[in-house]
Amino acid sequence: MDTLQHLMTGLAAALSWQNLVFALIGCVLGTLIGVLPGLGPAAGTAILIPLTFRLDPTGGLIMLSAIYYGAMYGGTITSVLINVPGEAASVVTCFDGHQMAKQGRGGTALGIAAIGSFVGGITATIALVVVAPPLARVALSFGPPEIFALMLVGLGLVTGLAGRSLLAGLAMAVLGLLIAMVGIDPVRGAPRFTFGIPSLYDGVGFIPVVMGLFGVAEILLVVGAPTRQVIATKLTSLLPSREEWRRSGGAIGRGTGIGFFLGLIPGVGAIIPTFVAYVLEKRISKTPEQFGQGAIEGVAAPESANNAYANAAMIPLLTLGIPSSPTIAVLMGAFIINGLTPGPFLFQERPDLVWAVIASFFLGNILLLVLNLPLVGLWARILHLPYQYVCVGTLLFCILGAYSLQQNVFDVGVMIVCGIIGYGMRRIDLPIAPLVLGLILGPFIEKALRTSLEMSGGDFSIFFTRPLCLGLLIVGALILLGSALRLAPAEVRKASAD
Amino acid sequence: MRRGWQVACVCLLGIFLGALVTSLGYSLTDALGPGPGFFPFWLSAIGIGLTGAMLVQLARGRILADAAVEVLPSRQAALKAGAVLVALSVAAALLEPLGFRLTMLPFIAGLLLALGARSLLAIALTAVAGSFGVFHVFYYWLKVPLPIGALGI
Repeated sequence: MDTLQHLMTGLAAALSWQNLVFALIGCVLGTLIGVLPGLGPAAGTAILIPLTFRLDPTGGLIMLSAIYYGAMYGGTITSVLINVPGEAASVVTCFDGHQMAKQGRGGTALGIAAIGSFVGGITATIALVVVAPPLARVALSFGPPEIFALMLVGLGLVTGLAGRSLLAGLAMAVLGLLIAMVGIDPVRGAPRFTFGIPSLYDGVGFIPVVMGLFGVAEILLVVGAPTRQVIATKLTSLLPSREEWRRSGGAIGRGTGIGFFLGLIPGVGAIIPTFVAYVLEKRISKTPEQFGQGAIEGVAAPESANNAYANAAMIPLLTLGIPSSPTIAVLMGAFIINGLTPGPFLFQERPDLVWAVIASFFLGNILLLVLNLPLVGLWARILHLPYQYVCVGTLLFCILGAYSLQQNVFDVGVMIVCGIIGYGMRRIDLPIAPLVLGLILGPFIEKALRTSLEMSGGDFSIFFTRPLCLGLLIVGALILLGSALRLAPAEVRKASAD
Repeated sequence: MRRGWQVACVCLLGIFLGALVTSLGYSLTDALGPGPGFFPFWLSAIGIGLTGAMLVQLARGRILADAAVEVLPSRQAALKAGAVLVALSVAAALLEPLGFRLTMLPFIAGLLLALGARSLLAIALTAVAGSFGVFHVFYYWLKVPLPIGALGI
C-alpha cells in the first residue's frame, strides 16, 4: 500500500509538464545516440550529462534515464537497416532484422522491435516497483562489512564476465580502484597521488574518464572504419500481420522474462540476455531453419529481452548502489554529481526523487513506443548523415561535458589521455567495464573497508564472523572461480575457433 | 595482438609499482585504524601480482591474444586518429585563452576538413552552429558556464 502511494506520488511528479518534456527530450536524444553508429549508450549518456547540470536532480535524472533506455532501443534501427548494431545489445537483432529488411520487411522488423521493447520495459518496471522496496529494506540492515562484501561481489561479477582473461579483468578493476584513490582521502582528509597538482585534489573526474574511454576512444576507432551501406527498405507497414503477431507473442513474453531475471545480476551485460532469448526461441521453434533468414521471433525475443534487461538493471543500482554495467555506472555518476548516493538510503532520504524516476520509466517506455513507430522513417534518414559530422559533434559534446563539470581545462586533458588509453584498450581487447566500475565504486569500497576495520580495531576477522558478510564473500569467491574455469585456456581457444 | 598485451602489461606493472612506492609515503595505519596509504598499498600490491601473472601467462601462451589480429591501425586510420588528437589537444590549450566560441569555430571546421568533409557551406554552417549556437544554448538557456576568452567572445 505504501509502495502504491509512493508510486502515485512519483507518477504525479513525473507527469508534471517539465518532467514530461525532459523524458521526451531524453527519449529522442537516446534514440538518436542509439541510431548513430559508433556512439554507444555509455558514451552517449555521459556526453549528454552537461544538459542536466542546471536542471533540478529529479528532472535531470529522468532525462538521463530516458536517454539510457532510448539508446537501448535506438541501436535496433541500425541493426535492421545497415546490419551494424548501434550498441552491443543489438548484435543479435542483426541476424534476422537485417534479413527482414533485405526482404522488404524492415518496417515490420522495426515495428515488432518497438512493441517488444515496450512490453519488456513496462513489465520490468512493474517488477522493479514490486521488488525494489523490500530489497532496499533488507539492504538497510547491512553494516560496513556487508556493504564492502556486496560491492566486491558486484565488482567481481562485472570483472568475471568481462573479456577474454580473468586476470586482465581483475587488473583493470584494480586500476580503476587505484585511480579512484587520487585526491583527498575521504576518511582522514590527507591528499593522495596529487603530486602537487591542485586540479587533482578533487580526484580524477568520473565524467572526463568515461567520456575519454568511451566517447573519444570510439571516435578514434570510427574515423578509421569504412563507411556503411544503408539498405533501402519499405517502412510503410510497421505493424506485423496476424500470423506474425501469433509467432511474436510468446517470443516477447519469454524474452521479457529472460531479460528481467538476467538484469538483476550485475555484470551480465545487455548482450547475454539477448543471445539467451534468441537461442531459446530457435531451440523451441518448429521452424528453426528460418532463424537467420528473417524470422520475426528472432527480432521480437532479443528486443524484448534487451529492454527488460535495461529496466531491471536499475534494481541493483537503486536498491544496493551497485551499477551493473558501464552505462548504469554513468547514471550512478550522474546521481553522485547531483549529491545523491544510489542505494537503500536513497529510498529513505529522497523517496520523492526515487519514485518520480521509477514512475518516469513507465512514461518513458510509452513515449518511446509513441515516438518510434511513426518516426522510424526519420531515424532511418539520420543514418545517411556523414560520419564526419557525427564524429565532430560527439567530440564537441565531449569537450563541453568534460570542461563544464568543474570549469577546468585539466579535465579536458584527462579526457584526451583517457581517450588514447581507451583506444589502445579497444585495439587489443582489454576490458574497459571493470575499470569504470572500479573507478566509481572505489571510494565506497575503501570507506566500507576502513570503517569495518576501525570497528574491529584492525582485525580482519570481522569479515568472516558475520554470517551475511561471509556468505557474500563466498559468493564472490565462487563467481571468480567460475569465471576462471570458464576462461580456462582450452575453452577459450575452442570458443575462439567456433 | 600478443605484443599489444605485453606492452599493456608492462605499462600496468609500471603504474602499479609507481603507486606502491608512492603509497608507502602515506601512513598505512594510524591510531584509528587503517591509514590513507592502506588501501592504495594493497591495491598496488595486488595489481603487481595480477600483471606479473598475466605476463607469465602470456609468455606461456595461456592468454588468448590472437597474433593474427593487427594491433596497429592502417596509415589512413592512424592519420585521421592523429588529426583528431591534435585538434583536441589544440582546442584544450586554447579553450580558456580564446573562449569556447573562437576555439570551437576553427576546431569544427578544421576537423571536418581533415576527416574528409567537402561541402564548404555545410562545414561553415556546422562550425557556426557548433560554436556560437551551442554556446548560446548552453550558456544562456541552460546556464552552463563556458569560457569567454580574452577578446570577450
